[in-house]
This record gives sequence, C-alpha cells and structure tokens, in this order.
Amino acid sequence: MNPALWLLAPLAFLVLVGPGRRHNAITLVAAATVEVIVATVIAIGGVDTGADDLLTTDATARLFLLVIDWAFVGVVVYAWNRARVDATRPEASARRGYLGIVFLVAMNVVVVANHMLLAWLALEVTSLAAAPQIAQANLPGSRGASWRYLVFSVVGLGLASLGFWCLDHGGGHATMRFDVLAHTAAPADDPWRDLGFALLVLGLGTKLGLAPMYSWLPETYDEAPAAVTAMLAAVQFNGTLVLLVRVLQIPGARDGVAGDALLVLGLASMALSAGSILATRNIKRLVAYASINHAGVIAIGLGLGGEAAYGVLLYAVSNAFIKAILFLSIGHIEAHYQTKQMRDVGGLIKDLPYTGLFLMVGTFALLGFPPFGSFLGELLILSALAASGQMLVFAGFCAVIATTFIATGRSVFPMIWGESRIKATWHSQRLLPHLPKLVLLIALVMMGLYLPASVNTLFREVAASMGAR
Amino acid sequence: MSTALVVFVLVLLLPLFLASWRVSLVGLASQGAIMAWLAYDRDGVTTVADGVRLVDLGLVRAVIVPALLYRVMATRRADARNDVIAPNLVSWALALTAVLVGFRFAAHMPLPDAERPFVAAAAAALLLAMLVLASSERVFSQVVGVFRFENALALFELSRPEPEAEPGFRVGLLVVLVVTIGLARWYLRTLTPAGDAPAPEAP
Repeated sequence: MNPALWLLAPLAFLVLVGPGRRHNAITLVAAATVEVIVATVIAIGGVDTGADDLLTTDATARLFLLVIDWAFVGVVVYAWNRARVDATRPEASARRGYLGIVFLVAMNVVVVANHMLLAWLALEVTSLAAAPQIAQANLPGSRGASWRYLVFSVVGLGLASLGFWCLDHGGGHATMRFDVLAHTAAPADDPWRDLGFALLVLGLGTKLGLAPMYSWLPETYDEAPAAVTAMLAAVQFNGTLVLLVRVLQIPGARDGVAGDALLVLGLASMALSAGSILATRNIKRLVAYASINHAGVIAIGLGLGGEAAYGVLLYAVSNAFIKAILFLSIGHIEAHYQTKQMRDVGGLIKDLPYTGLFLMVGTFALLGFPPFGSFLGELLILSALAASGQMLVFAGFCAVIATTFIATGRSVFPMIWGESRIKATWHSQRLLPHLPKLVLLIALVMMGLYLPASVNTLFREVAASMGAR
Repeated sequence: MSTALVVFVLVLLLPLFLASWRVSLVGLASQGAIMAWLAYDRDGVTTVADGVRLVDLGLVRAVIVPALLYRVMATRRADARNDVIAPNLVSWALALTAVLVGFRFAAHMPLPDAERPFVAAAAAALLLAMLVLASSERVFSQVVGVFRFENALALFELSRPEPEAEPGFRVGLLVVLVVTIGLARWYLRTLTPAGDAPAPEAP
C-alpha cells in the first residue's frame, strides 16, 4: 500500500463534526494533528518512498507535506483558541469543521498526486472548500470577496486544466504521470507543449496571485477571517506551488514561452505590489500585497531554475511560515483594536507583547533580514539572476525590493513602538495561544542558520529535480 | 464542420446580442445539449465513463444548471433585460473577433482534420467566456460567464476521444461541477437581493 494513502485518515474525523456540537474546532485540531504526524513520518521517518499511477512520496511531496501540514496545525490551533474564547465565533461552526477537514485532505492529495488530473481535481476541491469559509455572516463585503475568489479560482484552474490538455495533446496521450513526464525527453518544436506550459503558468499563476490576474488576492485576504487568510496564504499557496514545480520538472518546460513568462509576470507582480504597499493603510492588505511580492520573487526564481532552485525552495518554505505568523498576529490585533488601520494601532510591544514580538520578528523575516531563511533564499535567487546575465531584471528586482523594504518598515514599525490612538483594555496575554507561531518561528530561524541533515537532503533533492547541480 | 457545431457557435453568439437572462439560460442549456449529442453521436455509451460524461453534459449542464439559475431569477422577479456584455458596437465586434481568432487558432495548430472544428468552436467559446467575465458587473452575468467557461473546457475535452477514460476521474469532475453549481446558486441568492445588482469586478 502506498504510504500516502494514510493522508486520507483525517476524513474519519468528519463524523465527529456536526451542527450544535461544541467541539468542532478541537476536532479540526485533532484531524490536523493526525495529518501532521502522518506527514512527518512520511517525510523524515524513513518510510519507503515510491510512486504509483496516482500517488507519489518523492522529495517534492515529502518537503511540502511538512510545510503545509505544520502551517495548517498552527492555523487551526489559533482558530480553536478563538472558538474557545468565544463559542459564537464562526471558527466553532460545523461548516468550518467540515470544510477545514476536506480542505486539509485535498491539499495533501495535491502535494502527493502523481497524476495531472488528480492534482488538478484536488486543487479545485481545496478552492471549493475555501470559498465558503471566506464569507462571514456579518460582513457583506466578505461574500463579494468570496465570490471573486471562486470566479478567479475557476478561471485560473480552468486555464491550468487546458494547459494539461495541451500537454497531453502534444504528447499524444503518452502519460499523465508526473514522474514519467519528468524523465521524458522534450520533443523539438511542439506548439501544443509550448501553449500548455504557458497556460499552466498563467492559470497556476492566477492561484498564486501573480499579475495580471492578482486582484482577487488583496480583497480575499483582507475580508476573510485571519485563520482562513493564513490557510490560503501559507497552505494553499504552497500546494499550488507544488503543482507548478512538478510542471517545471518536465524537461523543456522553461525553454519556450513559460520561462520568459515567469520572469515577466514575476517582475510585474513585484512592481505592482510595491506600489500598493506604498499606498495602503490597512495592515492585512499590506501583508497581502507582500504575498504578491513574494509570489513574484518565487516566479522569477522558478523562471531561472538551475542554481536559483535551492533559493526558491528556501524562500517559498520560509514565506509559508512568515505569512502564517503575520496573518495570525494580525488576527489578534484586529480582535483587540477592532481595526485594521495601521495608524490607529500603536505600542503593540507594550499592549500585546507576544503579538507585538511576533509581528516585529515576522516583519523582519518578511523583509528578508538575516538570520531567516527568506534572507538566504532571496540572496541565492539574486546571485543566480546576476549569474544568468539578466541585469535588467536584476536591477528591477533590487529597486522593487528596496521600495518594499522602506514602505513596509515605515508602516509597520510605528505599530510596534509608536503611540496608539485607540485605547483598548485587555487582560495580560497568555503564551499558550502563541505557541504554534513560536514553533513556526523556530523553523524559520533554523532555515537560515542550520537545517537538520534529513530536511536539507529533501531541499537538495527537490532543487536537483528543478535543475540545480 | 458538422451542423451541431455550427449550431453550437450560434448559441454561443446569440445570447450576447439578445439582452435577456432567459435567452442566456437557453444558451447554456443548448450548449450542454449539443455537447451531449456530439459525445453520444461519436462514442455512444459503451463504458461507465461514457455514461458519466453523458450525465454531466446532457443532464447537469443542459438541464440542472439552467433550471437552478432560472428558479433564483424567477423567484427574485428579475428584470427581463440582462446584458452579459456591454450593448455596444465595440463589444459586439470583440465577440465576433473572438470567434474568428478561435477559428484561426485551430487552423494554425497541428491537428487531425476531425478535431479541427471542435478545437475551433472550443477556442471561440473560451474567448467569448473570457469576454463575458471581463465585461460583466452583474453577478448573474458572471455566473453565466463561469458556466460558459466550463462548457468551453468540456468541448476541448470532447475534441478527441480519450483512449482510457477513468470513470473515477469523470465522477470527480462531475462532483466538482455540481458543487460549483451549488456555490454559484448560493452566491446568486445571497450576494444580490435582486439577483442582478452589480458585483465585484471579474477577471
């Protein structure tokens, strides 16, 4: 039996969820805990790895299983804590319980899928499970954002499915298995393959929030509850990335339009996000625009491939944890001050010391400071960019990064150390609800300083599959 | 090009020029029915996967989608008029250009002759769906755009026989479509009290 089948085990928890039950949120935590244990055993527990027609536990799957499941645990522990404090919160509802479990299992299937159609179907299921969670009963704007998310998902994934169809057409129905395709020589001059790769970049780029179809992302991240935003930014983003990585592992994928498209879309996304970061006064939107920026950096790294691959992986994994930390911290801030406006919030380090601390450290990591993994990742991508001779992209990259750095620091740091316009009373913060963020933070620092050999081997194997030497 | 495909292209275009939500729904129903006929005419029903595909095209797309959307709009007593694209010469010219581009695309790609008309009609349908989604401000029109998009993808899949279609995947695709329909209906009901108010911008 393929060990990846154990990742379906949390579906059993669906029977424990139900309307009116008081333990829906803790059931979701239990399901996520089971999933993270299975994922960790598969990833670094010495389980036999292999692939069949549908599932694989190759290095790419094992690395990203670790990332998405640990990030998901952090998110659901936060949601459980919110539900524990206030049982009327949507986090306690059966709907969130059902959809959360379905989302979790489907996301894991995306990561371990060895078949194009299965991966696509599972990603579609995650979108269908996420869309209703974005809508909040008391916020009409969130329903609009939820609909917008669904429309862009349908279009993005539709284009991706057309991309798979074109690849299949080009290959003459040879196979839909990723592992076989990754070892099949690229045929010369096949317009269906070129079109397929281009559509896949455009379609999956839409799900990642790349320009030109990025406009759903800021609105969705802003309007959704903090836990759902963190789930989309840290978990779904990386699941989609796995699919894009698998596509780029096919020989010749970057040779046609797709490689150039990744560079252009990446740089355009970075430039657009920098301008928006300068203009926004909303902390959630700011981090959402930063997510678009990160998607741009990752796209550029993927477009380069080769020596940038290790840096892209480090950067992508770091950003999953950074976004989870930041969006969950913002959830605490929003609950405390009842606002997302940055100028109304100040003195976090005194008022909400743990939240302030995580926001501060998360922002440093977001901006690519050492010793975080994002610093090393960005450095490796930049050096690969310089080595490739793409000096125009290199210059644009540096200019945008500098702008983002200044704009983010100018807005966020006064929240941490400045004076607040809103005085809210709050009993002293407990550390317990912040423990998941602490675990993610430790992982983040480790990625910049020291990676255990087993995890580092995973990074190197995936980078090698993307063309690194 | 077969008569069925010619009619398919016509039912793609007509609802863009006749500004009525009922005509839009008839258009969706016709697309589903024509695709079901095309699938049945070529492959018959020899496997489970063929049967599931026929249910997908002939029942879900041709009957259930239009019927559910009709119920919402009728319950809301929505105005008869509904433009899925802006009613002006530029939009109409763009729609006709989309059809031409679709056919030119199929003419240039390396394809067996039997597949070329399918790919031409599917490419035209895809471009028209993108046009509808890009120019619609109303939720209903966006829902129509989403299902036009889904139909275009289905026609692409129909263009060539699949050697070994897995029934499991067919069922999975059908379930995803049904859930999408349920969600679209929910948004149409809850997002706009009248079912036709402006919605957030679409891609």
